[in-house]
Amino acid sequence: MALFVLRRLMLTGLMLFGLVVITFVVSNVAPSDPAALAAGPDATRDMVETIRREYGLDRPLPEQFVRYVGGILTGDLGRSIVTTRSVTQDLARYFPATLELVILAMGFGVLLGVPLGMMSAVLKNRAPDHATRFIAVSLVALPAFWFGILLQLFFSVQLEWLPTSGRLDIASPPPPFVTGMLLVDSLLAGEWETFGDALRHAVLPALVLSFPCLASILRVNRAEMIEVLSSDYVTAARAHGISRLRVVCVLALRNAMLPTLAIIGLRWGWMLGSTVLVETVFDWPGIGLYAVSSAIAGDFKPVMGVTLLIGVNFMIVNLIVDLLYGVLDPRLRAGA
Amino acid sequence: MMQGFTIGRRGAIAAGLGAAAGVAAGGSAGAFERDGNRKILVFAGGQPVPVIDPHSRYDWSTRMIQQSIYDALAKYVNNPPQIVPWLAERWETSADQTVWTFHLVANAKFHNGDPVDAEAVRYSFERGLRMNKGVAWMLKDVLPPENIVAVDPRTVRFTLSRPMPSFLTFIPLWFIVNPKQVQAHVVNNDWGEAWLTGNPAGSGPFRVRRLEPQSVIHLDSVPEYWKGWPQGEQNRLSGVIYRIVREPAARRALLQRGEADIITEIPADDFEQLKGMRGIRPEDHKGLTTFAITMNTTKGPTADLNVRKAIAHAFDYDALIQIHNGAATLMTSPFPEVIPGYVAVPDMPRRNLDKAREFLAKSAHPQGGFELEYVHVQGLEDPRRIGLVLLNSLQALNIKVNIVAQPWPTMVARGAKAETAPDMVSVYVTPVAADPDVIAGKYHTRAQGNFWGMHHLTDPQISQWVDAARVEADETKRNALYAEIQKRVVELQPEIFGMLANRRWLMRDWVKGFSYCPLRLTGEVDLHPMWIDAR
Repeated sequence: MALFVLRRLMLTGLMLFGLVVITFVVSNVAPSDPAALAAGPDATRDMVETIRREYGLDRPLPEQFVRYVGGILTGDLGRSIVTTRSVTQDLARYFPATLELVILAMGFGVLLGVPLGMMSAVLKNRAPDHATRFIAVSLVALPAFWFGILLQLFFSVQLEWLPTSGRLDIASPPPPFVTGMLLVDSLLAGEWETFGDALRHAVLPALVLSFPCLASILRVNRAEMIEVLSSDYVTAARAHGISRLRVVCVLALRNAMLPTLAIIGLRWGWMLGSTVLVETVFDWPGIGLYAVSSAIAGDFKPVMGVTLLIGVNFMIVNLIVDLLYGVLDPRLRAGA
Repeated sequence: MMQGFTIGRRGAIAAGLGAAAGVAAGGSAGAFERDGNRKILVFAGGQPVPVIDPHSRYDWSTRMIQQSIYDALAKYVNNPPQIVPWLAERWETSADQTVWTFHLVANAKFHNGDPVDAEAVRYSFERGLRMNKGVAWMLKDVLPPENIVAVDPRTVRFTLSRPMPSFLTFIPLWFIVNPKQVQAHVVNNDWGEAWLTGNPAGSGPFRVRRLEPQSVIHLDSVPEYWKGWPQGEQNRLSGVIYRIVREPAARRALLQRGEADIITEIPADDFEQLKGMRGIRPEDHKGLTTFAITMNTTKGPTADLNVRKAIAHAFDYDALIQIHNGAATLMTSPFPEVIPGYVAVPDMPRRNLDKAREFLAKSAHPQGGFELEYVHVQGLEDPRRIGLVLLNSLQALNIKVNIVAQPWPTMVARGAKAETAPDMVSVYVTPVAADPDVIAGKYHTRAQGNFWGMHHLTDPQISQWVDAARVEADETKRNALYAEIQKRVVELQPEIFGMLANRRWLMRDWVKGFSYCPLRLTGEVDLHPMWIDAR
C-alpha cells in the first residue's frame, strides 16, 4: 500500500510540473500585453514600462519561468497586475467560496445520483427508469449559464423564493472568518440566521453546478447496478434468503460504487473548472470568477494560479479515490 | 419489496418539498435596504473595483468609488459640464497659464480628523506623478513634482514647465489622500500603494465599511462630512452598496425585485422593456463616448484613402441608431459636441453608394473583390451587430467582411503594431476630461500603440496642430486649431465616425438626487447628493 501511495505521489508531482509548464507557455504565447492593459488606455509608454518592470515582465521568458517555479516552491504564485495583491492571498480569499459551492454541489450529485441510479436499475425499463434517464440526459445537455439564468428568473424573479446572486444578503455582515466557507463559519459562530441566508444563496448555484455530475453518477451507477444485480453472487445471495433490500443496498451497491467513485473523482475536477461559468452567472466570488476577471484583463498570474490550484485539487481527489479503491476492493490492495 | 420502494420515494419527495419550503420561507423582501432609521442605496453594476487607490487606476466603477471616498480640488457637475470648487474654494492662474494657485477651504477634514491642508495636496500630486500610474499621464509632461509648493497651510502652487490650458480640466480627477495615513504604510518605497489598494485615506462623503473587490463594496456616509449633504441631514443615506453583478439579466432581476435601487450597463432591449414598468424610472442622456470603426491606414486595402472614403460612404449609419433603439446620435465631427472647440464638420460621410463607388473607382481596387477583417471585443453584442451592418453595407461595393470576435487583451495587443493591426476594429472612446486635447490626441502620431490609435495614422500636419493647440493659451486661436484638426481628420478618414450612444440607468422611483454630468465615465454616478424618498 505504501509503495502504491508513493508511486501515485511521484506521478502527481510530475503531472503538476507539466501543468505549470503548459499554463506558463499558454499564458505567454497569447498575444496580449498585461502591462499595457493594467496601465490603462491613456497611459504613456513609460508608464507601461514602469508596470512592466515592477512585475518583472521585462525579463526574458526563461528567467520569468525559473522565478515562477521558484516562487511556487515557496508558496508564492506571483502578483496580480489587476488587484496588485499576491495571487496566493487572492486565492486564499476566494477558494473557500468555491470549495463550499463544489462540496455542496457534489453532495447534491451523490445524494441524489446514487439513490436514483439504484432505483433506475431496480425498476429497469419501467416508467420511473425512463423518466430518470430522460432527466439525466437533459441535465447533461443543459448549458450551465443558460440554465442558471433560467432558474434565477423562475425562482428569484417569478416566485421570489431565492436570492438571485451573491453569497449573503448584501447588508448582512459575514460570520467571523474561520474557514472562509460561510455555511461552516456561521455554524461555528452559532449564527443560524446567517446560515439560512448563506444556504438560500447557495441553493441555485450548487444545483446548477451539480446537475451534470448528478446525471453522470446516476447513469454510471445505474449501469453498474444492472450488471451487478444480474451477477451470480447476487442470485446466490437471494437463494440464501438474504432480503432484496440488503442485497441491493449493501452487497450490490458496494461493488457498483467503484466506477461511481471514479466518476466522482473526475467530476470534482470538472466541477472546479465549471465554477467559471456558474460563479459568473451567480456572482459567486470564488476562484472561477477571479479567473474570468483576470483573463478578461489579460492578467495571467491569477489564471495560472487558479489552473494550478484546480490541478492540485483534481490530483489530490483522484489520489484519494485511488486509495478508496483499495479500501473497497481488496484485490487492488493485493496488486499494489 | 415494491411497496418498500414506493414508500421510500414518497418519503424522499416529501422531504425534498419540505426542504424547499424551508429555504423559500426565508426569501428576501424586495425593498430598499435599511440601517436603523436610514436607508442604504444599492447600485448594481457589472464592473468590479479591484483597487481603490486613487492614483493607481481608474475606470467608471473605480472612479465612482474613489469619488465617494476622496475629494479633489474641484469637481465636475451638471450638463453641460462645469468645474466647480470643492477642496479649493478658489484659484487663479498667471497670464501665460503656467502658474496655478489654489486656495483651500478651511473646514475640510479627512475621515480620521486630520485637516486637509496644502501639504496633503502637494503630497497627493507628488505621489501620483512619482508612482507614474493611473492619472499620471495627465500632468507628468508639464508638472515636475518639485514644482508643487505648499505656500501656506491653505495655499498650494503649481508651476508648469510650459503653458497648459487644459490643466484645470484634469484637476477634478486628482484625489487628495491623507499623507500621514499613507506614509505610515509605505513598504519598499511603494508610496503606500500596497496598503492604499484596499484601504481608504480620504476626506470624501463616504467611508469604507466593507470591501470585497469581486462582489460588494459597502460605504457608510460620513455624518460630519465637511461639505455637508445637499439632500439635508434627514435624508442623508446610511450608506451605499455597490454590488457587482456581471450578468445583465441578473441586474435586471435585482431591479425588478427591488434588491437594487439603480442599475447600469443595460442592453437596449431590456431598457425598452423596463423603462415603462411601474416603480421604475429611466435616466437616458446623450453620451460622450464615441463609437468608431478604425481602419488600418498603413497596410492592406484600407491604406488607400479612396478605399477608406468608399467604405465610409457605403456604411449604413441609420442602422447604428436602430441597433440602439434610437438612443444614439450620429457623430458630426470626430469630437463630441460637449467638448470645447467642437465644430460640425461639413460633408461628414453618410450612406451614399454613388459617392462610395466613385471613391472606389479612384482606388487601386476599382472593382472591390477583396476581404477585410473586422475585429470586435468578444462578448459585446452591439459591436457584433454593427459588424453585420458593415458586412451588409460593403456587399454593394463587392467587398467581403470577415467578422472576428477577440478578447480585449488580444485585440489591443494586435492593434498596438501597424503590421498586426486588423483592417477594421470597433472602438469606443470616453474622454476623461472636458478638453479637446484628449480627443485630438487620438490622431497624433504618438497615439499609435494605444487602442484608439489602431488606425496608425501618420499625418505631420495633424500632429503639429495638436502640439500647437495643446500649449496655446488664447482660446480663440486654440479653437481655430481644433477646427482645422477636425476637418483634416475627417478628410483623411482613419475611421468610420459612428455614433454617441446614450448613457442609461434604470432606478426605482424612490431614488432621488440623481444628476447627470457627461464628464463622468460611462456608468459612473455622483453618489453624494443621492437619497431615497420612501417610508
